Amino acid sequence: MNSKINVMILVDVIGALSAGTLQGGNLCMMDDGDLASTGQGTPTLITNCLPGQLIKWSALAVDVQTPVAIKSIRFRSPDGGGDEGSGAGASGVSGSGYDANLDLEVWEGIVPAYLTPGTVYRYDVELQMYEGAASILHNTSPGLMRAM
Amino acid sequence: MNKRAHEEGRQTTSIAAVVDCVGSLATGSLAGNLYLYDTNKSGGSTGHGSEDLHTRVKVGDQLLWTAFGLECETFLRIAEISMDETVCVPERHLYPGTDVSYWIATVKKNPIGELPYRLAFTVGARREPMFAPRSPVLFGTDQATA
Amino acid sequence: MAQQLAIIVMVDVSAAVKARTLQGNTYLLDNMKLQGSEGEGTGALVTAINGTHWVDGSMGDEQVLNWLPCALGSIPMTVPRNYHLHRSRQIEQDALTAIRDLGNSTPGRTNVSAELGRIHGSLGTKVRYRRPGGTGRAGHIALDVTGNPTGRAPSGASSAPDHPPLLITDIFGEAVERNVIFPAQYGSPDLVTDGWYWSASVDSTREGVYSYTMALEVHRPIEENGVWAWEPVRLTYQSRLRISNRPKRNAFTGAGVSFLPVPPPEPAAPAGTLDASTTSPSLF
Repeated sequence: MNSKINVMILVDVIGALSAGTLQGGNLCMMDDGDLASTGQGTPTLITNCLPGQLIKWSALAVDVQTPVAIKSIRFRSPDGGGDEGSGAGASGVSGSGYDANLDLEVWEGIVPAYLTPGTVYRYDVELQMYEGAASILHNTSPGLMRAM
Repeated sequence: MNKRAHEEGRQTTSIAAVVDCVGSLATGSLAGNLYLYDTNKSGGSTGHGSEDLHTRVKVGDQLLWTAFGLECETFLRIAEISMDETVCVPERHLYPGTDVSYWIATVKKNPIGELPYRLAFTVGARREPMFAPRSPVLFGTDQATA
Repeated sequence: MAQQLAIIVMVDVSAAVKARTLQGNTYLLDNMKLQGSEGEGTGALVTAINGTHWVDGSMGDEQVLNWLPCALGSIPMTVPRNYHLHRSRQIEQDALTAIRDLGNSTPGRTNVSAELGRIHGSLGTKVRYRRPGGTGRAGHIALDVTGNPTGRAPSGASSAPDHPPLLITDIFGEAVERNVIFPAQYGSPDLVTDGWYWSASVDSTREGVYSYTMALEVHRPIEENGVWAWEPVRLTYQSRLRISNRPKRNAFTGAGVSFLPVPPPEPAAPAGTLDASTTSPSLF
């Protein structure tokens, strides 16, 4: 069992900004975990993991000369309750558009022990592409699942 | 090369538009994301690099518009050029054997004062064209000093 | 991951050749405006490179610079770079087809000499490239900025020939000498660059403003013994980079790594509580 899982978020920035959505092929998520995650290559990636493993998220643009950065990752309660859990970018600065700060953020953390095995813990990924009214898009379908 | 025509005084002025495609799509506007240039700086054109390029023209000149994206692999094309058609009528053509377009027009008469015109672009995969909020300008030789 | 930096170097080539200088005829654009580049679209661009580092000082993200030269007033770079050659071959092929058709036409029906004259005219003029040791023998048909042989533009007006592509032949100067950037020319199958482009990796721990110089090759049309040729002219232009370097940090905590902020389960109701809504047997 690897101690680290990398989750890659691949974005077609021009496609996403043109259509105003990450759906429709503009977003692809993959991880390199060895516990058979499901939904590889789709926005609905469910990463199988174990307590103690380190998970790291990275965003990559298909066109390397276009910008994309993770603005926030928020976990939701598995019973579908309100979006509890902090996890908004800890930069905590006022949201005055694009922050060069977003390149400083490292989105990694350790899987806690209290996850119920077999339950999907969904999270909401917010991506920022450049700055402006249309620059922030969400994917609310991926999740983590404790394998056993 | 047709040296004679070159020296005749009739001139081809190229106008190039560079669009920051990511910036325009993310902000929803071309403001701050459009850079215009022409090849007639030595003939008096001003505003190179800005959104309101002033291009100096005279009767008989050929004007040619091209565009490309700052992100060179992103799709960009001029969707429309609208201006007073008594001065010139831009027409869209394709470079033979390609699907890349350019717009061309011959100046039919000297514009009196400044003639603003509107540019619209098709950016990325977005269906509706985006209009440049500010208008570049054609201006002619002052009648009195012609 | 940080995006790659792209710097477009746009030169009004015919003006630069006439004036024998790139000053006033060169415009620079990059994709770092939001990150703090100054002078976007002018000749005085300062490109911002926002480097990052880990807690031990090692480089966080790899910053890569890419340069794209383009000639203002030429066929745009969205048309593949070797267009002149392909278009030239296509025009010659069309002429050969027309001659063959002429040969097959009914005698007496067609004015053969007039038609041959038209075909000959459609071929325009050939232009060659001058290199050390003389002018090359092979050449291609000179095209104007609409992609047609000079003298055959759709509007009927004849036009000046389209210049050969602008080339960067070297990148040197302060930033290179001081080992801040490491430029090299790379091969690429990309149609826009048609095989060659300049790229550089950056030592982003070196904060500060550094200048670098590009050597560019433009071309001047000359006539030699009735043959038209392009003669290369080498000119230089200077630009600047501003490098900053900031520490990376964990996005969930703002500091070091910790547990993921997954909402913990609700605590179970403590034993002994009597709840009127419960239907289960009472606890006592």
